Order: sequence, then structure tokens, then C-alpha cells
Amino acid sequence: MRKVLSMMVFLSLLFGLLAAGVVSAEEPVKLKFVSLAWQKQSIEANKEIVKEWNEEHPGVQVEYIQGTWGSIYDYMITAFETETVPDVFHFESAEIVGFAQKGYLTDLSKYMSDDLKNDIVEEAWKTTKTNGEGVYGVPFLWESQITLYNKDLFKEAGIQPATPADPWSWGELREAAVRLTKDTNGDGNIDQWGAGLGLKSPAKKFLRLSVGFGGKFFEKNDSGNYVVKVNQPEKRLMIHHKAMLYDEKTAPISGIGQSGSSMIPGFLAGKYAMIPNVGVWARQQVVVNASDDFNWGVIPPIKADTQDQGVGTQTLSIPSDSKNKPEAMQFIEFFLSTKNMARLAKGDWMLPTRKSTMELPEFTNAGNGWDVALKSAENLIAGPWQSIPGFTEWKNRVGNPIFQLYLKDEIDLKRASEQLERDGNRVLERYYD
Amino acid sequence: MNSRNIIGSILRHFLLLLYLLFLAFPLFWMFSISLKPISEIRSLVPTMFPKKIVFQHYINAFQEQQIFESVLNSTKVGLIAAVGVIVIAVPAAYALGRYRTKLNKGVIGWVLVSQLFPAILIIIPLFLILKSLGMIDSHLGLSLLYIVWTLPFVLMMLQGYVQGIPIELEEAAAVDGASRFQIIWRIVLPLLLPGISATALFAFISAWNEFFFALVLIKSPELLTLPVKLARFTGMEGVVRLGPLAAASFIATIPALILFGFLQKWLVSGLTKGAVKY
Repeated sequence: MRKVLSMMVFLSLLFGLLAAGVVSAEEPVKLKFVSLAWQKQSIEANKEIVKEWNEEHPGVQVEYIQGTWGSIYDYMITAFETETVPDVFHFESAEIVGFAQKGYLTDLSKYMSDDLKNDIVEEAWKTTKTNGEGVYGVPFLWESQITLYNKDLFKEAGIQPATPADPWSWGELREAAVRLTKDTNGDGNIDQWGAGLGLKSPAKKFLRLSVGFGGKFFEKNDSGNYVVKVNQPEKRLMIHHKAMLYDEKTAPISGIGQSGSSMIPGFLAGKYAMIPNVGVWARQQVVVNASDDFNWGVIPPIKADTQDQGVGTQTLSIPSDSKNKPEAMQFIEFFLSTKNMARLAKGDWMLPTRKSTMELPEFTNAGNGWDVALKSAENLIAGPWQSIPGFTEWKNRVGNPIFQLYLKDEIDLKRASEQLERDGNRVLERYYD
Repeated sequence: MNSRNIIGSILRHFLLLLYLLFLAFPLFWMFSISLKPISEIRSLVPTMFPKKIVFQHYINAFQEQQIFESVLNSTKVGLIAAVGVIVIAVPAAYALGRYRTKLNKGVIGWVLVSQLFPAILIIIPLFLILKSLGMIDSHLGLSLLYIVWTLPFVLMMLQGYVQGIPIELEEAAAVDGASRFQIIWRIVLPLLLPGISATALFAFISAWNEFFFALVLIKSPELLTLPVKLARFTGMEGVVRLGPLAAASFIATIPALILFGFLQKWLVSGLTKGAVKY
């Protein structure tokens, strides 16, 4: 009897182990990945990479979920609070630093390989660190602000475009814009503007470009809290824009209500000879929409005191509530391999952050301005606003409206500066209570 | 009809026509964009009608985002929400409209106060409640939420309709020996049909258009509703893929239009036309 019982116990244990083995073989780890890719090419690239991962890693299967830029903040906040997080999510550095400060994100530094750590540009890493204490996202795409120009109109006006070796200063840009602004039919109205300045959301643009003048807009006070400061370096870019809009009249005032990309149809129609300071991704809009005989080119970042531009990055992060952190990091490493990062950057027409990706021939050739765009990555530095609590609210509620009032000539520079500081500090103070 | 009346009539019809054009223009514009090639959409001088008709945006919308699947999901959720809210609201509205108690004002006040809270404020507690009920990532859970969300307003609307039915009709039926249930079933409900149609349409369209709850509660791609799918055509800094968005949006309006056409006869018929002769 004892033998029979022992045999039964042994057999049940054996079946149990086998069953567990079968179950574990049948049930791979499942990762949820929220991507914000939205361009057709980019979505396809994302899906293909996920498919390749799933084929190569039967034990760890990734579910691709398409999020949207407009709703990802609310989506993630509710996911964090209700502990229903995806394992990997795509967002931008300025926002994830805030999430990290609230403890929502995993410090990736202990999970990632040296290869990834060393191959991504240091300035890109800086955008995802909080006070140098941890890494809360892997930066994989970023963008510089370049200038698109109409080659035929330049040739007609006898203007030689700037090159990476000989970039334009703001003065040279303005001078070219004056020469390119014309009343072509003699009716007293300007038909061809030198520049199309899309200034619908000027705050981020002004912060990015003011870095070249040494402008930071935020500095720490004696208590170690950030406050808004608008001094001479912060004012210089504002002055250049006002001069182009009102003194020299080389850019239409209607651009104040338009985004950079919405200036593209006018650029293609010859209404604007240049679209200054637009993200590198705007080239895609030109390629898709331009006729075959439209000749266009890319001018490198305009030189202030330097060509430096402040920048944020697109990132991949792992929530601290994820139950599969090592697997999630493995997936990120695969997703952002040298080859895959190239596919993602090409899909979104943005710049990769891996040094090895930047060296690939598809980025170094001259087609569609990739060579100039890629070279401009050397001028990117982590935006000084990256780790400032309340930056997003400052940008939306103070920065954009006050810059717009200034650009519409409804307030002068002095008043704009005072309001940026006073109203901005009221917003920031709440984040230090 | 004298000449003054004729001019007045023409003017009225002209103004109505203008108003109709004003209402219909966004729909027409969306349809026009959905058929234009990208070069025409991005043209500096927009044209009213497409110079060249293409169906690529419809193909993209169907292939990339499985819009048809989302149309079915939204229809399902909208119908459950509309039926659910009517089933609950009709008896409640009848009770509020016919029985005068001290609780009435309190109930109405409570209903109105519940409308003050923005969705973002209550989504986390709601999510946790639905999670404990095992209703996350399900159409039933989402529909339940829509029922709760639209119930206060539907209740207020229906209460007004109930009060608009002359009490004399019910009294006459009672004198003839009808029970309370018979009075409601045979007298009140038929007269309430225009109100039920209007409120059902309101509940359906609210659910059809709702974005935020669907975004947070639905996790499986195959269960997503239309508004969440439509948002996928917008990118960073509000840049939009206008062609597929217009095509998908046009498809999205069709079921609501069909439902409106179906319920229209109830909406336009008089509430108590010919019911009582004074």
C-alpha cells in the first residue's frame, strides 16, 4: 500500500513538474509596448521591429500598442496610479523627468548594456537624467532646427546658401530675407516673403534657439529652486524675430498663428523663400508634397554666439510597476540597435542618438538634406529646462501666450520680460510647495 | 397670400437654407478632403471640390487602423449605453416628475452636482471600481461608465418630457380602471417616445464621441472605439495626417446619421399632439 501511495505521490509530482514545464513553455512573458509613432513609415518600422523581436524571442512576446501624442500624458498618469502600466512606453524627455521625480519610473542604469550606454551621445543621455542620479529613459530620437530654402529663388536673387562649414549668423539670415522679399507683380503688396516664420507655439522654439545666445530662461535661486530670469541673452532672439516681422517686414505676421509645418504649402508655392528654424522632420512634408521640379535645400542651424540649440529627446522608459523589467530592457536594446534606430529615425525623419547609427551611409549621403541635418546634431545640447518641475505648465500657460503677445506687438520687450518672470515664477512656486 | 407674406416666406426659407449650409459645410468639407490627393490637400489655395478623386485615404484608414472594427465597437458600446440609460432613466424620470416629495429637490441637486466633476478627476476611482468588478478592458465596463456618465442629464431631460404629459390623461385612464403599470405602459410610454428618442440619441452620441474614458479603460487594440483610433492620425505638436483623418471621420459620422434618420420621425412628431381637447 505504502509503495502504491509513494508511487502516486511521485507520479503526481512528476506530472505537476511536467505540467508546469508545459505551461511555462506555452506561456511566454508578455510585454506591452506603447509607441507614439504616427507617420505611416514610422508605424510600419515599429511594427516590423516588434514582429522581428517576437520571431526571434519566443519566450518574450511583445504586444504593440499605438498611443497618441495628444493623450499619452493622461494615459500614463492613470496607468501609473491604477498600476496597469505598459512594460515599455515611448514619450519625451521633458515629461519623463517629471514622472521620474514622482517615482513612477525605473532607473535603467543597472539594466542596460555598456554598448548602449557608450554608443548614445552624452548630450542625449543628459536629457533623461534627474540631477545626475539615475537614467529614466533611453533617448533615441531628437531634432535640430534647420532652415529650408528654395534653391531657384536663391539663385534668382544671387544668394549663396550657408553650409555647415560656413553657417549664417542671424544678421546674415535677415539680410538674405530682405533680398528675397519682393512685390513681384508691382501691386504694392508683397508676394514673395523672404522667410515664413511659423510661430504658433513659440516658447519651446525660443528656449531652444536662445541657447545659442547663452539664454537659459531658468536659473536656481539661493534656496535651490528654479526661477525664471529674462536677461539680455534671453531677449536677443525675441528682438531678431520682431525686427523681421515689423521693421524689415520680411516675414508675414500671419505666421504668428501658424505652426512651422503649416508654412510648408506656402514654401512649396514660392510664397516663402525660406522656412527658418523648423524641425528636421519638416523635410518629410516637403518630400511628400513637393512637385518633382521643386528645388529645395537645407541650411544648417543659424549661428547666434554659437550654433548650439537646446533640445529634448524622444525616449523609451520602463515604469517602476512593470513586472518584467529585465525583459523590457532587453527589448529596448533590440528595438534601439544600430540598425533598428536607423529605421526609426528614417521613419520619423528625425536624428538618431546612437553614434554608430549616425555613421551609416543612409544618413551621411546628401539626399533630402540628411547630411546637413545629421551634421547639425553636433550642435545639440540638453535643454536647460529638462529637469525643471512645472516647465510644461510654464510653457503652455505663460511662455506661449506672452511670447505671442510680444510677437503680435501688443506688449513691448520690457513688459514681456517682466510678465515672463512674474507669471512664470507664480507657476513654478507651486511646484516647490 | 399677399406679396408681403411671399417675401417673408422667401426670406425665411433663404435664412433656413443659409443655416442648413452652415451646418452641412463641415461635413461636406471633410468629405471633400477625404477624396483629395495629398498635393491638393496641402495646396496653398484650397479648392471646394477635388480636382482629382482618390480613395487612398480610405484605404489607409481601413488598413492602418482597422476603422471598420472600431465602428462596430463604437456602435455596440453606444447602443448598450443608450438602451441602458433609457431603461434606468424612464422609471426614475416618471417618479421624479409625478411624485412630489421633499426628496425631489435633493435628488435633482445631487444629479446636477454630479455633473460638476471633470472626467480626469474621477477616472482613477472609477477605474479602480471597474477593475475590482473585472470590467476593465471590456465593452460592458465602458458602456456601464457611459450609462452612469449620461444618466443625470438624460434624467433631467426625461423629467421635463414626463411633466409635459397632461396628468388628465393618466387620471382618465385610472377612472377607466387602468392599473398604475397599465397607465405607464399604455399611456405614458407612447407619449414619451419623442423624449425617449431624443435622450437615447443624446446618450448614443455622447458614447460615440467619448474619448478619454475609452482611452484609459480599453487596453486591447481590437476593442478600441472610434475616437481613440481617430486620434492616432495626429502627431507631435498637433500635426495631422489630414487625408486619412478626414476619411475615417467621414466614416465615423455615417452610423450616427443613420440612427438619427431612424429616430427622426419620433423627434419631430408632437409630444401630445391631439391627445387632449380643451
